[in-house]
Amino acid sequence: MTPPLLRATDVSVAFGRGADRVRAVRGVSLAVEPGESVGIVGESGSGKSTLARVLVGLQRPDEGTVELRGRSVFEGEGAYPGALRRQVQMVFQDPYTSLNPRMSALDAVAESVAFHDRCTRAQARDRALALLGDMGIPPGDAVKKPRLLSGGQRQRVSVARALAAGPSVLVADEPTSAIDQSAQAQLLNLFNRLLRDGLAIVLISHNLAVIRYLSRRVHVMRDGEVVEEGETERIFGAPSHDYTRTLIASIPGREAAGTEVSPQPTTRDGNADRRIDLQAL
Amino acid sequence: MTAPLLDIRDLRIGIRRGRRPPLVIVDKADLRLGRGEIHGLVGESGSGKTMVCRSLIGTLSRRGASVLSGSVRLGDLDLATADEAMWRTVRGRRIGYVTQSALAGLNPVVTIGAQLKEAIRQTGTTGADADRRAVELLDRVRIRRPEIVARQHPHQLSGGMRQRVMIACAIATGPEIIVADEPTTGLDVTVQAEIMKLLKAIQAETGVSVILVSHDLALIDAVCDRITIMHAGTCVETGTVAQVARPRHPYTAALNRSRIELAAPGSELRTIRGRPPAVGTWAPGCRFADRCDGARPDCRTGEHPRLAPVADGHMTACPFPDATEAAA
Repeated sequence: MTPPLLRATDVSVAFGRGADRVRAVRGVSLAVEPGESVGIVGESGSGKSTLARVLVGLQRPDEGTVELRGRSVFEGEGAYPGALRRQVQMVFQDPYTSLNPRMSALDAVAESVAFHDRCTRAQARDRALALLGDMGIPPGDAVKKPRLLSGGQRQRVSVARALAAGPSVLVADEPTSAIDQSAQAQLLNLFNRLLRDGLAIVLISHNLAVIRYLSRRVHVMRDGEVVEEGETERIFGAPSHDYTRTLIASIPGREAAGTEVSPQPTTRDGNADRRIDLQAL
Repeated sequence: MTAPLLDIRDLRIGIRRGRRPPLVIVDKADLRLGRGEIHGLVGESGSGKTMVCRSLIGTLSRRGASVLSGSVRLGDLDLATADEAMWRTVRGRRIGYVTQSALAGLNPVVTIGAQLKEAIRQTGTTGADADRRAVELLDRVRIRRPEIVARQHPHQLSGGMRQRVMIACAIATGPEIIVADEPTTGLDVTVQAEIMKLLKAIQAETGVSVILVSHDLALIDAVCDRITIMHAGTCVETGTVAQVARPRHPYTAALNRSRIELAAPGSELRTIRGRPPAVGTWAPGCRFADRCDGARPDCRTGEHPRLAPVADGHMTACPFPDATEAAA
């Protein structure tokens, strides 16, 4: 059997030491195949973003492995050795801070092209323009600095920059949460097209509607652990974990449908939660 | 229809630019807020939602903006021409404000209790009575252990709790209106649901009217009685939630079609062509015309159309409301 495109097995990450130690991710496993989107939902502090950083190699796990087509990506000191590096790329949440304000969209994407492929500046520019055009950014907007672009446009520039590496997996951390609804729809259409072209997408979001729309399978995270996973439609239709039920009941309009929103007691550990713990005292 | 509590008519807001004419950022904004109503104000970033809100608490000038014309009637007062003395009787007293970022709205170096007491003092309550009232208000917004939280600073609270404190500050003076500008943006869905539940409960308990600003239509639908939709600095449609669900303006129709939660998984989502025209580049006629599939030559001439009634309480700024209905 061929190994999955990208597979994380029993990944754990902890920050700090002693009494301040926070176990951000605890024994999480997931796999994604070409043309497939896997969703990760959970609230702030559930470990979603740390997991994303592990998948793209920005964070070394304390335990567990990440493999790309069966090859471990954390070999030696670094992550994603050699030709593997370009294979997994990331789109960050905030399109207002993830782009260099002094670089035009075109330069940002061309830089990524030139980094990953040996080519002339003119070739990098042409390829960047083509990528941006593909993302719905016309040449007239491509030469603009990020501050002159809308949030949705910036997010599509970020996607173009990620695609410039020619990845097989895209890890998108809350890509739609900072942009307007119409721009969200545009970005999701784009993701759908990329999926059809065979890209794998790990989509992290606290917006269940977005996950439901794009991801066939979903992992629900809480306190660093996956509390429920499976087919998105099944989980939406018949959630088996209390926390998943709470999440689904929190979708605006669901309450009216008869499901009462019951706030979960907050008993997470860590920095963010010592504040909330007061509520539970 | 009885007289509304707040009546915004033909409001025009601009930014002063020295000798040049002011840059108009809101034009022909109309909004009527009924007593005890939760009114949703919806629109894309830059559509003027926040500017309309600021005109209700007299903080436009902090952004170099001012009301150029139109009226904002609150009872006998016209807030469009209010001076600072009048604002002191309105802002925080008759109209409470909940900002998008509770961290920005709260003073980081002052305890929660002291901030609440600042608001309470406006009602003439001081000393130990004010302390008691602060704890009472925290209890009112369902904060557990209010005595402890009153002694804490904003950074010690979670985002959801900070937003509860903001709501407590807003209701401290028993206002007639609470303006909540994207109060749950950036909060988790579960926390958002709790805050919305709280806002509805507070409304029911006190009878206060609420203006809830959001670009999340699903949220607005679930919480509000009436909705006003803004596009490029103007109000294009207003009505009850049920009325606006059957839109009579093509922009509202397009917004509804781009909603993910109503789409089949993986299906092509309908998007709205282009972007709203930037401030300062508004062409004659309807400012949605360039994005509208049903635009006619007439749409690009003359003034931007104003809201006109199509049914009781339902108004649209599109002169061809039947075309939108037929296309649906």
